[in-house]
Amino acid sequence: MSYHYNEAFENPDYHFSETLEIDRGRNSQKNRFSHQNPYDSSPNGSYREHSGRGQNYPPDIPMASMRHDSEYSQSLPRVAVLSRSPYGNCQDNLSFEPEPELAYSPPSTFHPLDRPYTRRLSGASEVSFIQRRNRRSADEIFVPSCSLSKTDQVYKEEAKLIGNLVSMSARERIKAIQKMPETMKKKREIRNKVRKEITKKSGSRRSQFDCCTQCLHRMAVSYRRFRNSLSEYFHQLQLWHKTLKIIGGKFGTGVLSYFVFLKWLLTFNIFSFLINFSFIAIPQFVAAEPNNLSFTGLELITGAGYFQETILYYGFYTNATISKTENGASYNMQLAYIFTVGIYFVICLFSLVFSMTKSFRRNFINPQAYSGNASKLLCTWDFNITNEKAVKLKQKNLSTQIKEALFEVNQEVLNFSLKERVVHIVIHLASWVASLGTAVVACAGVYFLSVNNLELFMKERKNDLESQAAMLVLPIVASLLNAFIPFFYSWLGLLEKFQNPRHQIYVTITRNIILKISIVGILCYYWLNIVAASESQCWETLVGQDIYRLVLVDFIFCLLGCFFGEFVRRIIGTTVYVSLGVPEFDIARNVLDLIYAQTLTWIGIFFSPLLPGIQMISFSIVFYVKKVSLMMNCQPPRKVWRAAQMTTFFIFLLFFPSLVGVLSVIAVTVWRLKPSKECGPFRGLSSMYAAISEWIETLKNYPGSEWVVWIYQNLFQSELFFFILSTLLLIITYLYWQIIEGRKTMVKLLRKQIINEGKDKMFLLEKLRALQMAKQNLSAPRRQDQKRSSASYHSSMQPAQHMPNYLERTFDRNQNASYDEFSYSPEILEGIGLPLDAETSRPSSRTGVSEALALALRARREAEREDEDDDKDFRP
Amino acid sequence: MGGSASRLPREALGEYQELTFLTKQEILLAYKRFSELLPEEEKENARSVRIPKSRILTLPELRANPFQHRICRVFSTSEDGDDSMSFEDFLDMLSVFSDSATSEIKSHYAFRIFDFDDDGTLDKKDLENLVNCLTGQSEESRLNSAEMEQLIQNILEESDIDKDGTINLSEFQHVISRSPDFASSFKIVL
Repeated sequence: MSYHYNEAFENPDYHFSETLEIDRGRNSQKNRFSHQNPYDSSPNGSYREHSGRGQNYPPDIPMASMRHDSEYSQSLPRVAVLSRSPYGNCQDNLSFEPEPELAYSPPSTFHPLDRPYTRRLSGASEVSFIQRRNRRSADEIFVPSCSLSKTDQVYKEEAKLIGNLVSMSARERIKAIQKMPETMKKKREIRNKVRKEITKKSGSRRSQFDCCTQCLHRMAVSYRRFRNSLSEYFHQLQLWHKTLKIIGGKFGTGVLSYFVFLKWLLTFNIFSFLINFSFIAIPQFVAAEPNNLSFTGLELITGAGYFQETILYYGFYTNATISKTENGASYNMQLAYIFTVGIYFVICLFSLVFSMTKSFRRNFINPQAYSGNASKLLCTWDFNITNEKAVKLKQKNLSTQIKEALFEVNQEVLNFSLKERVVHIVIHLASWVASLGTAVVACAGVYFLSVNNLELFMKERKNDLESQAAMLVLPIVASLLNAFIPFFYSWLGLLEKFQNPRHQIYVTITRNIILKISIVGILCYYWLNIVAASESQCWETLVGQDIYRLVLVDFIFCLLGCFFGEFVRRIIGTTVYVSLGVPEFDIARNVLDLIYAQTLTWIGIFFSPLLPGIQMISFSIVFYVKKVSLMMNCQPPRKVWRAAQMTTFFIFLLFFPSLVGVLSVIAVTVWRLKPSKECGPFRGLSSMYAAISEWIETLKNYPGSEWVVWIYQNLFQSELFFFILSTLLLIITYLYWQIIEGRKTMVKLLRKQIINEGKDKMFLLEKLRALQMAKQNLSAPRRQDQKRSSASYHSSMQPAQHMPNYLERTFDRNQNASYDEFSYSPEILEGIGLPLDAETSRPSSRTGVSEALALALRARREAEREDEDDDKDFRP
Repeated sequence: MGGSASRLPREALGEYQELTFLTKQEILLAYKRFSELLPEEEKENARSVRIPKSRILTLPELRANPFQHRICRVFSTSEDGDDSMSFEDFLDMLSVFSDSATSEIKSHYAFRIFDFDDDGTLDKKDLENLVNCLTGQSEESRLNSAEMEQLIQNILEESDIDKDGTINLSEFQHVISRSPDFASSFKIVL
């Protein structure tokens, strides 16, 4: 029984037809209410009134109809037996709540499932929406006849809703109430009703509560309170809330996404700085040796000299076990170093993977179906923009874009000749060759320069100004290449004359990435293969210094770029060449610069543990400088920037070449390379990883730590484990892939079905209109009195030809609200023979049903035929 | 800058937190901004008075927004249709436009905002209004009628799944669900 009830619930058609019947059945019963209850009275007020009456006059109880079970109890008296007493229904009515678990449904169908709930919710919202709308636009034709059924509908929905809310847990309930598209007043009413229900319920069951559950409850409450206050505290910590708002208000979401990304990287660096500082640097302070190098000031730029003997670099760290007191707890520097860095990278990896997958899931749900014309318009307005000038500019840009897009659509038919196509391909190929060639040349230059630099350094072995200045050549050249080759690339992009401006953006970004990654890659090769093999005293420190200089020079170039690229450019654009105009903020280039800087920092962490601290400072300065420069010099980008997708793309870039590359560099350093003999925490070992093996060896002697040894031997050192792990992963990936393929086909089928149903509907509507016309002409003499009444409102409120229009619209909404609006014009429905009322004594009802069925079948056939035609059209 | 403006009672604050997507700070800020719109003598009972539309629209967050009138219309619960806003309406609005509101509820209200004639569907007229709001009313940026016709045709072709000439709520939400930028751009922060 209960199962059937739920099915009815799930199946909208069944549900609708049922409600129609109920509404009609009740209309005749409660005519006098309809006069007493003006439609406008708030639903709740009239509801109470009903319930009050229900108490006094049991026979009139409208409540019976509000409870979904009542129709069952009327038709099938056995249901009542299911509940505790035959009169239970009547008494329970006071609590307008179906109590789903008790008699009518398995709780599982109600409780955790979100979908049916949300559907019901949207149904309810639709009702109220229409209500509100009707109140506003004063569609009063329907009010007198349909108000009653509609308010009943509302109560029913509401009772259902409250029933569901009561059965939820407190958290879910709050979430569900928040999600309702209702006014605050309505939400509060619902919440209060739900609360009343809960107290009533718990009141009756209080005896069952023992001390333990109360204690648990209290703990849960205090935990929730604690969490709330914690989140408030974190909310206050939100950096630059106001600045971000101003930027968003003036430049829109696209530019804002750059700053959000910058902020995100900054938090990454703060986190890693804190970790490194507290677990590596502070213990080293305890065991620090005196630094006898002098500080001149130039070191700040070169990172050499004085800094060599500080905690900034790998070489300074001790390999000893630090212990303050004899026999006290000791601190193994080797392990601390390797574990801190290792755990930091594991955390980075996971947080990146998580944010990447989250943003993929949200932003690339259905990439192939994204064609964007409609969504471009419907969701294009950026409500963040609050600046009046920015709004005007945005409107103008949108207008030109729309015009361009329309123009493009018209131009698309224009076909290129073979010769033009060949020319295009040749141009593309040539520019690819040119761009890759530049990247290769740049890499070769960097490589030879760095090798040369190292030789110079090894030969002279002195720390004077000259050699320090020579050290700066490499980073400056690298930064110059990074700064100027992109201009060449964007010039190439202009030369290529892409059809689609988006392609141009993507191609330019790809080329820039190739350039940056190959420069970093060649530097890594130089560090790992040449510096590490050289006979320098402490090659790790050398690498650390190199990275320090690269980071610093990159930062300086970023500031210079702000000055020349934006400030000077604006001056030129506004005074000398006015046609150039104010520069736009180039989001892609700026984000790529950030990714480059972050990659350097990650590589550098192992060789210079405090590098994140430096990067932290430079990023916060960059934030302010960019902000000021943006506000002063730039104008919002003209093109709509697909912020969400681009952010996903950038996070992916940060993950794929950047973090993965860094992890492999670090892995090679730890597993393969021989650490230098005289400095650093790993001096004297064959590889850095040997520190861990040694540690495991010593652990074997301690009883109680066998599990660590076991894990190490059986998991980390066994090929079998990794073999099984990767096989499992492959299998799971394959499974998911297959599931995705299945879903894709499903989506296609469903889409087709929707289209078919739409065609059904159109067909039925046309039939309906025709029949309506025919019936009106036919039955004009027979039902004159009825005609008059209906005609009176047709003519008073709406021109007759609007009627079909209206019907059409109500059909569209798949919610019951629209369906019960039909009850206002019974004769129209009768006219076409819809099964309006199965119980009526009219002879036409039988034929009506079959007629409608026939109509539906025909409509389906028609639609299928059309569909086939469509398919034929597609086939050549 | 009288610091003596009435405080929001604790239980009301809790209630608002429970009923909206806003955090405590956001509610307090909203309250502050709302009472700033009120004349001095009404500051005491900020939770019960209604602010007329003209005054609500002086908020910098709404002042330049081309959909300002629709926003007021949709969120106002005023009985006499003057689009005045009470504090609760104001909170409702901020809740929908807040960061943590779900994209479902955002798209629901976006639909209502774009539904200029309040008839429950986006028809050609509504779309035309929408495009005019997006491009602005000035002479050079307005689309001419042929462009408008074609544009609306394009939109309908793409998003009107059941081919009835209008976009209904579920079709609208379908379109929105394919455009991930929507949730981040349908946002007003105080």
